[in-house]
Amino acid sequence: MTPTKQFLCFGIATALLFSCGRSNQPLGTVLRIEAPLGLPAATAPTDNPPTVETVALGRKLFYDKKLSADGTVACASCHSPEAGFADPRRVSAGIGGKLGTRNSPTVLNAAYSPVQFFDGRAKTLEEQAGGPIANPVEMNLPHEACVTKLNADAEYTKLFQAAFGPGVITMTKLERAIASFERTLLSGNSAFDRYFFGGDLTAMSPAAIRGLELFNNTKKGNCAVCHRIGAQNAPFTDGKFHNIGVGFDSDGELTDLGRYAQTKDERDKGAFKTPTLRNIAQTAPYMHDGRQKTLKDVVDFYVGGGTSNPQLDAEIKELKLTGQERADLVAFMESLTGEAPPNSGPPTAGLQTSGLQK
Amino acid sequence: MRQLLVAVFLLSACTSNPEKKLATPSTTEIVYAEVDPTISGIISGTVMFNGKTPPRKKVDMDEDPQCAKLHKQAVYNDSIAANGKGNLANVFVYVKHGLEGKNFRLPADAVTMVQKGCWFEPRIQGIQTGQKFQVINSDPVTHNVHPRPKINREWNQSQESGAVPLIRRFSKPEVMVRVKCNIHGWMKAWVGVVENPYYAVTTADGNFELKNLPPGKYTIEAWQEELGVQEQEVVVPPSGKQTLQFTFKGE
Repeated sequence: MTPTKQFLCFGIATALLFSCGRSNQPLGTVLRIEAPLGLPAATAPTDNPPTVETVALGRKLFYDKKLSADGTVACASCHSPEAGFADPRRVSAGIGGKLGTRNSPTVLNAAYSPVQFFDGRAKTLEEQAGGPIANPVEMNLPHEACVTKLNADAEYTKLFQAAFGPGVITMTKLERAIASFERTLLSGNSAFDRYFFGGDLTAMSPAAIRGLELFNNTKKGNCAVCHRIGAQNAPFTDGKFHNIGVGFDSDGELTDLGRYAQTKDERDKGAFKTPTLRNIAQTAPYMHDGRQKTLKDVVDFYVGGGTSNPQLDAEIKELKLTGQERADLVAFMESLTGEAPPNSGPPTAGLQTSGLQK
Repeated sequence: MRQLLVAVFLLSACTSNPEKKLATPSTTEIVYAEVDPTISGIISGTVMFNGKTPPRKKVDMDEDPQCAKLHKQAVYNDSIAANGKGNLANVFVYVKHGLEGKNFRLPADAVTMVQKGCWFEPRIQGIQTGQKFQVINSDPVTHNVHPRPKINREWNQSQESGAVPLIRRFSKPEVMVRVKCNIHGWMKAWVGVVENPYYAVTTADGNFELKNLPPGKYTIEAWQEELGVQEQEVVVPPSGKQTLQFTFKGE
């Protein structure tokens, strides 16, 4: 909304005065996000185009522990830039050291995911952003308390007004700002991207190249059946849910029903969203419950054919791979580490928007 | 109207009846066999190997260098574990016939198989039907426990380093259930599932002993992973001690 339109709105009717001030629509300078080599074009919802202001605000919020009940946990606590925007702990710890049940997935390239969370319970990044803030085992700050806290903060009041226009801070605005920042967290141009999409045949090691072939070979690794590589770009996920045989207790019962909790469809028991493999070497441990410590462990897991259960995906079966082939697959996954996105670390000295890409 | 109500009542009574029947479990209690120790007997014996001991096969752990690193010395796959005197170890000996219709209490303890050094320990062991079968991963690598039974239900479970032990049961007698690890092709074990507690695995000296047997006529089977099975009939009189010898022939 331009200032002129704002003025018009202001003048039209008193009844509209408040609704005008309450708009959750971002204002300011629209930011063009360039997708790095290997990634699809960046997209954003029409009601939340990333702007210089919302992205900078979202970045501040992402790193701010104020968003937790006792000021100890930020989004970045479990999505740390030092750990590929994931969590090196098996499962994440919320306030008071409360443990969750899943390993934090990376936020890098989450913008491309058709749904969010391992069970897909949020459709958008906006919807996702509010979840952990209120979750009792994560940041434990109910949304009402969250906006009250931020509205009492002069700096945030100023920043939200710069990003969304006049009016109080709302969860919608907060979620939109965080989502917009996350849409800038794109990481590509990995050795694989330079080899496969950039034509630089020296970018990948011979072991990684052999690994790529095994990755695609349906009679060998068969990894690409879910971790997709396209002709123009490679998301390394199909965005779907699969039961790959992970997450059973001593008696062989599922400890986490996964997607089933959302759909109540029997076939979804123990199914989890295929995570991207981009930056996977940075985001150990692995699987939705972080039970596999290394990429070698993950390859071995797939060689074993998972754990038998009624919902096991038909694509999961024992693999015949030599030791060399297993090592090659690891080398390939190590070639998927992309460049760190610019302006993605903690904001220093308040808010700097000047360095952002425009 | 009244007729209709009665009909509805009857209908529902009708349909609920079979369910009631199903819900009530059989009240027949399991009667466990009590063995009188004052008259029980023992079958003991030795298993021999008659032939040239095949050369020991070195295990190639190239599939997983992390496994190879766990061993300072070469690992051998002794599928015929005979000593210099021809005594044969790792033979599963059990009561195949003679105890039909008897129910034996389950030991409270689990039978345990450990994955250590990318090796199943022990290689050969017995278990009673329904007894807890515990599998532990003591290794720093991901393992995979995959029994390949022909009678019992097949299952396959991944077990990463540090995972909780698995607890499973075999519900039907089956000699033997082969267990493999899909990840490490050289890992093999066999579990003999029997309905009675009278089973043993021969020691390094080829010896076995089946104690506290009720007097009776028995078929004893000896199973060896490569050499197959042999059986012998034996009568155990009250407080009797019988000695058997099995000899497996090699090339």
